[in-house]
Amino acid sequence: MNALLLLAPLLLPWLAAGVLLSLRRRPAAQVLSATWIFGGLEIGALGALVVAAARHAQAWSDYLRADALTAFFLLTTALVFALVLLYAAGYMRRVPPGRFASLPWFYALLFVFLGTIVGVYLAANLGLMWILMEGTTLASVLLVGFYNTERAVEAGWKYLIVCTVGLALGLFGTIAFYLAAVRGGVGTAHALDWLTLLRNAKHLGNTPRLLQLGWVFLAVGYGTKVGLVPMHSWLPDAHAEAPSPVSAMLSAALLNCALYALIRFQEIASGALGSGYSRHVLLALGLVSALVGAMLMLVQRDLKRLFAYSSIEHMGIVATGLGLGGAWGAYGALLQILNHALAKCLMFFAAGNVRERYHEARMVRIRGLGTTMPLTAAALVLGGVALAGLPPFGLFASEFAILRQAFNHHPAAGLLLLALLSVVFAALARHLQGMLGGRPVVPPTGPGEAAGGLVAMGICLALLLLLGLHLPGSVHSLLQRAVAVIRS
Amino acid sequence: MTPLFGIAAARLLGSAAALLFLTVLAMAAARRIGTCILAYGCQSALLAAEVFAVAYVRHSAAAWVVGGMVLVVKTVALPWALLFLVRRLGVAPRLEVRVAPMPSAFATAALIFFSFTAVQGFANELHARENLLAASVALMLSGMWLIITHRLALMQVLGVLVLENGIFLAALATTFGMPLVIEAGVTFDLLIGVLLMGLLAFRIRDTFEHLDVSRLRRLRG
Repeated sequence: MNALLLLAPLLLPWLAAGVLLSLRRRPAAQVLSATWIFGGLEIGALGALVVAAARHAQAWSDYLRADALTAFFLLTTALVFALVLLYAAGYMRRVPPGRFASLPWFYALLFVFLGTIVGVYLAANLGLMWILMEGTTLASVLLVGFYNTERAVEAGWKYLIVCTVGLALGLFGTIAFYLAAVRGGVGTAHALDWLTLLRNAKHLGNTPRLLQLGWVFLAVGYGTKVGLVPMHSWLPDAHAEAPSPVSAMLSAALLNCALYALIRFQEIASGALGSGYSRHVLLALGLVSALVGAMLMLVQRDLKRLFAYSSIEHMGIVATGLGLGGAWGAYGALLQILNHALAKCLMFFAAGNVRERYHEARMVRIRGLGTTMPLTAAALVLGGVALAGLPPFGLFASEFAILRQAFNHHPAAGLLLLALLSVVFAALARHLQGMLGGRPVVPPTGPGEAAGGLVAMGICLALLLLLGLHLPGSVHSLLQRAVAVIRS
Repeated sequence: MTPLFGIAAARLLGSAAALLFLTVLAMAAARRIGTCILAYGCQSALLAAEVFAVAYVRHSAAAWVVGGMVLVVKTVALPWALLFLVRRLGVAPRLEVRVAPMPSAFATAALIFFSFTAVQGFANELHARENLLAASVALMLSGMWLIITHRLALMQVLGVLVLENGIFLAALATTFGMPLVIEAGVTFDLLIGVLLMGLLAFRIRDTFEHLDVSRLRRLRG
């Protein structure tokens, strides 16, 4: 039973990719229906695992494990994937010619990408986690470069090199933890198992300098993948040049996945060294990322780069919440992850609609959104309100929780965050307001909004509103259990 | 016979570090891309020899497998793939560098010196051979040095490979390597990574008509 629960969501995406690639010469409708069938199965499998793992931790062999924290992240991922599939069906109507640039390849790579992300969450072995994390880069690089333009190729190259080098440093950090465990008397067969390391954290503390070194390397390495400043250089390029469904996957699923790895290592590090050291590293990286991300949002010219920098800023806030720790910090950080994923799906979907319609993503060239595509314009405005952390949307609640923790223990960090939120509001208001009114500079000739995309955006908004007004009981109890995992 | 082999193997473990430094310096001072690829091949062969020495001394079957993997993938397959890319992409054999070979070699020598000072504190704590640990740090640093000083896309790939060799050596020098499954997975990732980098290199050449990554400047801000 456990085997099925854990293996099904891990292996289904690969099966789906294989089937989709075998449909390369078939009409698009068949590809789409295969995508829907496998997408539905995968989301069902993820759902079953979330329900099971939320109650009791599930494990299979030495390599796969899922507890409440895993369940929370998987829930977010499943939600994002469902929304992306819904949106992509309408968005990918026009596929540019080129190698690997066809509908079956797009969906096959998307499924493989999802499979590696799910794998990172399920990995019980930190080495396996690293392998799959590098796998997420490898699976998504062709998606980032999907359009094969000069800019897309450049973004793809940068993404591959920067993330591979960054993750290589993360591997060094992983080896340092492994070494500390072996020196601490854990057998080599289990010295990469995170639960074993967590239980033997005291013994790992015998080599504190090694662990500190390892943690810094991990924070830099996996931090590259989270998009923390100053390792963020790949993120705006990749998010801006990828097709919009892929941008949403990167921002709402991939960044979280790297954060999850950091959380697992942080638990071990704080068990071995006391929570101070590892938390301070996260707090510093988080505050710098939030600061730089917010400031750079002000000066962006490209619509999708604006939201990419907003992702950096939000990941900074989440890292700050985790760095602050405490019940409210961790709770706020996790809730922020879910909220941010929904809000960023909404924004990248809307930005994708705009780019398709105007063949343009430079914001000065986009005018008159209010009249040419009113529904997308409304989504951009409401999404902007949500991203700025204003009520009644979910991000308000999560940022409030983080701020509450900050003002209790690090008032300076709290003040900085508050100041940043106003900068973010100013940046979003300035950029979005300019695009709504006026007359189009270039006549919008592209296709209008697809129905599936509008439904996806509507779902995002409804869920954000729900999370802001009244957190459903089941989500709340899942969150509580996940927080308990972090703080145990 | 057997103890003699054992002593030789143990000696090899220690003295291979000096040869590794040599490969790193050769790469920094190289004027032709073929030299760099050859130096990488030699470096990987040295690593394979180290793994075999560990396997022999510790009677570890897993280490024999890892050594074979290093020999096949890093000493044969990857250098061959890089040479194939050089030929198919029509790369000029002379390297265009941002830092001239001699200053680059001096900088690498400084990096090697730095890596010795950096590991001093840890070598005792870890009961590891200091020169091997220093070699692993030097490989990592010089890999990054290659990535930032070269204009040619393929040299960045080579830099990543050297960096990975350094990390592999770090695990070998301190814990006699990670479990077999994990090493295999990491090597597999490396293979796929180089495959994709090669694919993107073709795309860079086809869209930009050159392979100079310092001239990829469309994305700013």
